[in-house]
Amino acid sequence: MIEKVKFFLTVTGNNLWQFRTRNIFSVTIVCLSFLTVGIFMSLANNLRATARDLASNMTVAFYLDRSASAADTEALRQEVGKPAFVESVKMVTPEEALEKFRRGFPELADIVTGLKANPFPASIELRVNSKASASGEVVAFVDSMKTRPGVTDVLFNQDWVEKMQGFSRLAGAIGAFMGGILILTSFFIISNVVKLNVFARKNEIEILRLVGATNLFIRIPFWLEGIVLGFLGSLLSLGLLLVVINLFPIYLGASLGALQELLSFRFPNLTQAVGLLLGGAATGFVGSATSVSKFLKV
Amino acid sequence: MIELYHIWKQYQKPFWALDDVSLEIKDGDFYFITGPSGSGKTTLLKTIFREILPTEGQILINGVNILKIHDSRIYTLRRRMGIVFQDFRLMFHRTVFENVAVPLQVTGVSRKEIRRRVFNTLQKVNLHQKMWDLPSRLSYGEQQRVAIARAVVNNPEIILADEPTGNLDPELAYEIISLFKDINRQGATVIIGSHDRELIRHFGDNILFLQKGKIVGKEGRA
Repeated sequence: MIEKVKFFLTVTGNNLWQFRTRNIFSVTIVCLSFLTVGIFMSLANNLRATARDLASNMTVAFYLDRSASAADTEALRQEVGKPAFVESVKMVTPEEALEKFRRGFPELADIVTGLKANPFPASIELRVNSKASASGEVVAFVDSMKTRPGVTDVLFNQDWVEKMQGFSRLAGAIGAFMGGILILTSFFIISNVVKLNVFARKNEIEILRLVGATNLFIRIPFWLEGIVLGFLGSLLSLGLLLVVINLFPIYLGASLGALQELLSFRFPNLTQAVGLLLGGAATGFVGSATSVSKFLKV
Repeated sequence: MIELYHIWKQYQKPFWALDDVSLEIKDGDFYFITGPSGSGKTTLLKTIFREILPTEGQILINGVNILKIHDSRIYTLRRRMGIVFQDFRLMFHRTVFENVAVPLQVTGVSRKEIRRRVFNTLQKVNLHQKMWDLPSRLSYGEQQRVAIARAVVNNPEIILADEPTGNLDPELAYEIISLFKDINRQGATVIIGSHDRELIRHFGDNILFLQKGKIVGKEGRA
């Protein structure tokens, strides 16, 4: 058994080397296909993680009427703190809001420096339990508070969470669509490369048949070839993805400004990486098996 | 024993490549099938190793009807045979050693045993010193000896050779047929298709004459 495995590996290695130019071509195509899938997967990963971060830090800010008395403000603070999904309640004074703005947007600090009056109103900030953040209960509560006297505006970041989740799904879908088309292309390319290899080795296959090789014995090296081509292509794509992820912030990141955070990449996790590798190997195997069964009449 | 009963083969109407051929070849026979080009020598050999199926008739090898063997099991028949072709059918990107080792590799013989048997066989055909050469670096006669070594390396019961001396000068042709004689003396049944009358006259024990697919004469035990 070990002898046979060694034999198949040797034959596969020799064959890959013998037709190296066309094999390198098919590895490149597989690599580019899986790189496309990987890029969108990484982008989706980042958007998903951003959405998760937002969801776990979901806050609601109630901006208060400047004319509201201290008693009204206190009553409001008591009221918004009642629901069970509220984790914490914090009063933010106009001064604290101004300071927060200066810290958060240093490049815009000049805008507020020259102002005679503080433009920020006082607000009450609630931190919502992450488990309840997506529930309708929170949304209903926020809606009911919008019309409450003393409240001028409400800022609820659930919209952002939903947008992030939407972007993440969109990136995943674009990746799956484009990747799907490219993987299909890889499949046909591997299939055709193996077909060429089958034709190029017709004489050898004929000899193998005449000396008593089984159909399986003849097919296995071609299957292995397909698997190796697909696997190498996807492995190379993971390597390139790592390079893209590391170089992206250096060459393009700064020009994206505030979008950089959203459009950055997260390398696929172990399951995704293994999935990409197995996907490459499977593409190669199916492409090769189809070709072998179609063009190798054994 | 190889038994052929009323073998007919038609590639295209109205010509018969084999026309009611019946014969019996005993174990250990040295057998020549001869006749002019197009007489059906190659077709007859091809039916015996089941490269092609006859249009009609039955072929039994050691009592087994080889025409009833399923396509996926043909290898069981081929492993008992060694086949030599006029055009050698060597793998030119593999060394002499690798070419000769193929029949052993397909049957799962260990690497050590392959080395031993290939070396011994190449020694018999006097090519052991060139076993790491590519066939393209060998002469015609040497290439034919590689093909013979490949055919005999797994000690088959039957050797089939189709015009094994077709491209060789007379001296080399005698050498090659002598080689087949040696193999035959060790117990293998050898069937050679050839149109070389001189050679057949010199070596022929049993001779079958074909013309337009018909048996037109027999000599010896044929």
